[in-house]
Amino acid sequence: MKKTLLTTFIFFFFGIALSQDKTIISDLENLTLDVGEVFMPTSKVVNSDGSNVDCLRIIYYNKKGVFSSAKSITFDRTNGTLKANDPGNHDVVAVCIDSNGKRLTRTFNISVNYPKIKEVKLSVAQNELYVGNYVPLVYEITDELNKKRTIDYWNYDKAYKYFSKVDVSIRSNNEKVRIDSSNNILAIQEGNSTITATFDGVSDKIELKIKKNPVNRLDLISNISNVKTGDVIQFKTNAFDKKGSTLKGIPIEYSFTGKSFDKSNSASGLILEDGRFVGDVPGKYIVSASIGNITSSKIINVFPRNVEREVNNVGKGIVNDKHTSDFWVFEGTDGGDYAVTGTWGADGTAYFWDVSNPSNLRKIDSVQVDARTVNDVKVSKDGKICVISREGASNRKNGMIIIDVSNPRNVKIIAEYTKNLTGGVHNVFIDNNHVYALSNGEKYYIINIEDPANPKQVGMFEVGKEGQSIHDVWIEDGIAYSSNWRDGVYLVDVGNGIAGGSPSNPVSFGNYSYDSGAHHATFPYKSKSTGKFYTVLGDEIFPKGVNPNGTNETAGFLHFVDFTDLKNPVEVAKYELPTHGSHNYWIEDDILYVAMYTGGLRIVDLSGDLLGDLYKQGREIGYLLTGNPNGYIPNDTMVWGAQLYKGHVFYSDFNSGLGAAKVSSNKPDNSKANTYIE
Amino acid sequence: MKKFYFFLSTIQYCLPIKCKIIFSFFLLLTINGLVAQNYYLYVASESDDTVSLLKFDGNKINEEKRIDVGFYPTEIEGPHGITVGPNGKFWYLTLAHGNPYGKIIKYSTKDNTAIDQTTLGLFPASMQISKITGFIYCVNFNLHGDMKPSSVSVIDTETMTEITKIKTGSMPHGSRISKDGLKQYSVAMMSGELFEIDALSLNVSRKLDLENHSLMDHSKMDMSNNKMKHSSVKPTWVIPHPNKPLAYVAGNGSNEIIEINLNKWEITKRIKIEKNPYNVEISPNGNFMVATLKGNGKTAIWDLSTGNLIKLIKNSTSVPHGVAISSDSKYAFVSVEGKGGEPGIVDVIDLNKLLLIDKVEVGKQAGGIAFWKKEI
Repeated sequence: MKKTLLTTFIFFFFGIALSQDKTIISDLENLTLDVGEVFMPTSKVVNSDGSNVDCLRIIYYNKKGVFSSAKSITFDRTNGTLKANDPGNHDVVAVCIDSNGKRLTRTFNISVNYPKIKEVKLSVAQNELYVGNYVPLVYEITDELNKKRTIDYWNYDKAYKYFSKVDVSIRSNNEKVRIDSSNNILAIQEGNSTITATFDGVSDKIELKIKKNPVNRLDLISNISNVKTGDVIQFKTNAFDKKGSTLKGIPIEYSFTGKSFDKSNSASGLILEDGRFVGDVPGKYIVSASIGNITSSKIINVFPRNVEREVNNVGKGIVNDKHTSDFWVFEGTDGGDYAVTGTWGADGTAYFWDVSNPSNLRKIDSVQVDARTVNDVKVSKDGKICVISREGASNRKNGMIIIDVSNPRNVKIIAEYTKNLTGGVHNVFIDNNHVYALSNGEKYYIINIEDPANPKQVGMFEVGKEGQSIHDVWIEDGIAYSSNWRDGVYLVDVGNGIAGGSPSNPVSFGNYSYDSGAHHATFPYKSKSTGKFYTVLGDEIFPKGVNPNGTNETAGFLHFVDFTDLKNPVEVAKYELPTHGSHNYWIEDDILYVAMYTGGLRIVDLSGDLLGDLYKQGREIGYLLTGNPNGYIPNDTMVWGAQLYKGHVFYSDFNSGLGAAKVSSNKPDNSKANTYIE
Repeated sequence: MKKFYFFLSTIQYCLPIKCKIIFSFFLLLTINGLVAQNYYLYVASESDDTVSLLKFDGNKINEEKRIDVGFYPTEIEGPHGITVGPNGKFWYLTLAHGNPYGKIIKYSTKDNTAIDQTTLGLFPASMQISKITGFIYCVNFNLHGDMKPSSVSVIDTETMTEITKIKTGSMPHGSRISKDGLKQYSVAMMSGELFEIDALSLNVSRKLDLENHSLMDHSKMDMSNNKMKHSSVKPTWVIPHPNKPLAYVAGNGSNEIIEINLNKWEITKRIKIEKNPYNVEISPNGNFMVATLKGNGKTAIWDLSTGNLIKLIKNSTSVPHGVAISSDSKYAFVSVEGKGGEPGIVDVIDLNKLLLIDKVEVGKQAGGIAFWKKEI
């Protein structure tokens, strides 16, 4: 026993003595580079006693991080150099592989200087400045690499980020303005004042001519005093001088305060710089227009929108042995009403239904193709041709299947088409004898099906950016609306003529993207009540990924983008259902029918002008939770899509199949609701 | 069992040292013979977005756990390649489909939870880790649209950072590392080439044309406009021999296994085989070569000491895909995709008896398969 202990002690002692701490030392340590600078690192590995350790090779790379794209520092592995691409602090990992195959790593933090500021330009986004008004100063900063950054008065989040990185000072040459700690400039006296803004030693000056407020009286004008939540009021303001003469070009500031009728709620709304106001919550609102110390106000009563209606489930076509994906309802060649539904993660089946009686949805035929998911299904307007998409084909060629549905009770596969569609077709659309089919989530191909047995590729559209991606395409009036995730919606002329495009020559003429990058579907919508043209852009977000043990969490909402001016699309409103995310939707007669996944089928009033948060405005007409006790996953609502067809709202649910609902003209029956009655 | 070990340790304590050594030797032999050995492996199901952890006890194979993978519950993200790190603590999975790029996810073998991830190229597929660099070398299969050269992504598993993409051929597949960890091999399915990457310099060190030019009529080929050729060999997999300077390539289009002498960097043999060989693995002892024959639903086994095909085994369902061989070279585990709504299956083949001895159902389109560990 003693021998064993002694041996152990000796090995332990020599073990310590023989093993030394190794470390990589490198001239990367405390390295500072300029953007674009190339550097050849020299590194070696040493023992704690300073002796060198051999390395077969030292490999460097830029570690990814929250603020690093991992391409901020790039490496030329032939020449052994690195190049600084982006300003900021970046981690470079050095990996030494020694002759015994042991690996040693060390991370070096490299600082890459922000390019020095070359030029600062100041401007004021307002023609006239008056005493009592804040000065909307705009900073345009150009760096040595000629990158321009513009910071304006209303984008203070950008300004705040930038100001924290550079040495900023804003001064005036006199007391006619007051500059606060956030660099806001308030005009307080009539006269001239020179503002000097200095960013890292580079300055620009601007002369402010502060005028005495000429306004003696403001009239805030609207002939409306009582509205409903969600109704948009356009205020106008007339300004008058002492003599009562009208003044033009006066920069009016609009604001509002208010109290909710419901004491447990708070007033909420939105007012824009152009005087448009919308109240979200029923209450009394005071809308004000002001210039300096002159103000005019008007009281608006905002009453409940009162659009709620009963939504009843009329019929159900249960699919309870697999998940259901997308669907399409169509009028058959015999005048009957039919539907096709896809299936997800299953056996490549698509089902055909007789939906002529929505209260009795009957499965009448099916096709099974070599696929695991038939994600999308569409039928031509004449009710003759159906196209279904394939994912998970056993030969990985995927593509799409063209089906003769002239007789929906006896559908026949006409052709399989896979050219350029091997990566899986997620969504398709049929328009004017052409199929628009997504390819590998990157682009869409346009395939002529005049001869459906011999489809021919005639065109292709892609955004053309590195990492381009696409999720859906929808065609209306010869315009293809593709939903391209972070690149947003692309409007492409495929026969409308607006940009000279055709199916064989698709021409892009409009685009709008937004920050979340989750743009998954688009529905073009022209408002019947206002004539405005919107693209309604839907997110698809699963914030926590797959939940294997229960209901999935979903997020995201619908973005309403006013595309009336094609060159200047403006996002004006959203429909966001708290804690539930959006999927597919349909709009007809100023009513939105939207599948909010776990939030069920939702029906929303879109009448009138659209501004702000449509959900908060009480525009929701009704809803239906589509989970079913006999579903594939019982009672688990996961509604996939909605389509209004001949007065019924059809929907597909991931867990229960096809359904039909009806929006009643009746108000909801509150007889069972637990409400307090005065 | 605890009492048994206490008994053994008591005997050990009482014996003199020489006896202890002899006793221990025979004890290990006895335990090895008497106590059942369990084998663990992972298999990915590409059309179900699941990974199954399987346990085989020498007789029966069971699914221990089915793990949901991916980020979009309503979209198929296609888990394809799977591998276990050399220390057995982590497994790595590629998801073929993304927006549009696929991902690699790092999981703990302890509880099968995801630890980290990074984005790779289009359809990241098969991969393996070099024991010397600790990097994963993963092919970006990119089977979409027009053929063009794709790449091998190199990922540091410590930080899950893609270090670089190394350009190779069209539709690269079958990433395998030499036993010394210094070379990575892959084949380009559409351009019909074998690539060797230096695992340290991260550059392509050698490239070999795999076409059988003696069978080709070059006069009929249209090579104008620099069109990328479409290989008749359509190689889908390469595996270097563990002990010899040889590598074997599956010629999926030419129905052959191609033997390459890695020293001379030339083709030394073309072994004809039934339809569409797809994946090929060699047992760690170098005795057996096992290939899936995708076209006719069989698995082929060669005795590499003689070079003879010794068995063709019909798989349990259609479309056999991947092969993983146990560390003791006793068993081959073959993933079989099936078609449509059929479940995927993992077949267990006893390499000594040359028999399919058991099978287990997993998720749809079982593909990537990786041996994890053997334990008593």
